[in-house]
Amino acid sequence: MHVSVISAERSVFDGEADGVVAPAHDGLVGILPHHAPFMTLLGQGIVNISRSGSVTRLQVMGGFLQVASNVVRIVARQAAPANS
Amino acid sequence: MAKPRELKRRIRSVQNTKKITKTMELVSTSKLKRAQDRVVGARPYAQALAEVIGQLYSPELAERFPLLRQPGHTGRGAGVRRAALVLITSNRGLCGAFNANLIREARRRLEELEAQDAHTELHLVGKKAISYFKFTKREPASQRVDIGDRPTLEHAAELAKPLMERFANGELDAVDVVFAKFNSAVSTPPTTLRILPITPPEKRRSGGQEATAAVNYILKPSAEEILRQLLPLYVQNQMYRALVETAAAEHGARRTAMKNATDAGSDMLNILQRTFNRARQAQITQELAEIVGGAEALKG
Repeated sequence: MHVSVISAERSVFDGEADGVVAPAHDGLVGILPHHAPFMTLLGQGIVNISRSGSVTRLQVMGGFLQVASNVVRIVARQAAPANS
Repeated sequence: MAKPRELKRRIRSVQNTKKITKTMELVSTSKLKRAQDRVVGARPYAQALAEVIGQLYSPELAERFPLLRQPGHTGRGAGVRRAALVLITSNRGLCGAFNANLIREARRRLEELEAQDAHTELHLVGKKAISYFKFTKREPASQRVDIGDRPTLEHAAELAKPLMERFANGELDAVDVVFAKFNSAVSTPPTTLRILPITPPEKRRSGGQEATAAVNYILKPSAEEILRQLLPLYVQNQMYRALVETAAAEHGARRTAMKNATDAGSDMLNILQRTFNRARQAQITQELAEIVGGAEALKG
């Protein structure tokens, strides 16, 4: 599935992934390929985007997450690569 | 004809000015590039926000959100009693008619609003706007000069937040922003955008509309709650875009102005150099004639 992470200033991540774990407003949500259409508000925390074993970690705050037809869109007020 | 020494002095002066304008042109070009990247970078976010709000928006929900409250239902603009106008200009000059155009657009809008009997307050960004309205002795409601050419989200939030609060409390009926829309480096028309009340973004593309309407999202917590969170972000983002586009447009305008100045300098230099050469030649000819004349006289 395709994942894009967009912050107000620029597009932070754009690519294919096998799974996404994101901090929603009331706890973590995990999205796997072919998830049902879904929309939720984001809280604050770290998004993990995994692709064949490797994980990209991004710090996000605010905004929303949208899943539709195998495309995940994370639109965050702030987003930046997280330093592990 | 001017004296060669006088010409020499003017040539040097034009040369120096040309160096400065040339450098400013180069600086603006590189700043424009970066500002342009920021404008482009901000686009996907704005698009995504607009799309989602368009999808969630329904007239029934609109009643419940103060930010969507349309002023009055009788006649166009009949309900606008108190409006705010935000004018964004640059802090620095030497960018052609850029600021003058923005100020002209703002004044046009002011007159329009006041013709509707709306009490309008001014919020000014940038030294150029402030000094103009100081000259016209019109007191702005707020002013700031600290934004410069790298506007951030925080700047936009600081500007938009008090306006949103006052709009939600019913102290304002409309908020307009006058800024330079950045179509391209050479096309930056001054534009008025009504950011409050929010005009629900259109659902784009008729084909896409059907596709998205068919999707039944699982919404968490609820459409209403999501809208409540996203609407302020949308307003803030519009303010941010206005700031970023104006910053980019400023550099575009300055580059053009400085390019014109450099070209004009080159033309001037050409004419001066030619006049100087002619004056020098005339002097040499004159001296030769004198020497020859003197020798002739000595021969007797």
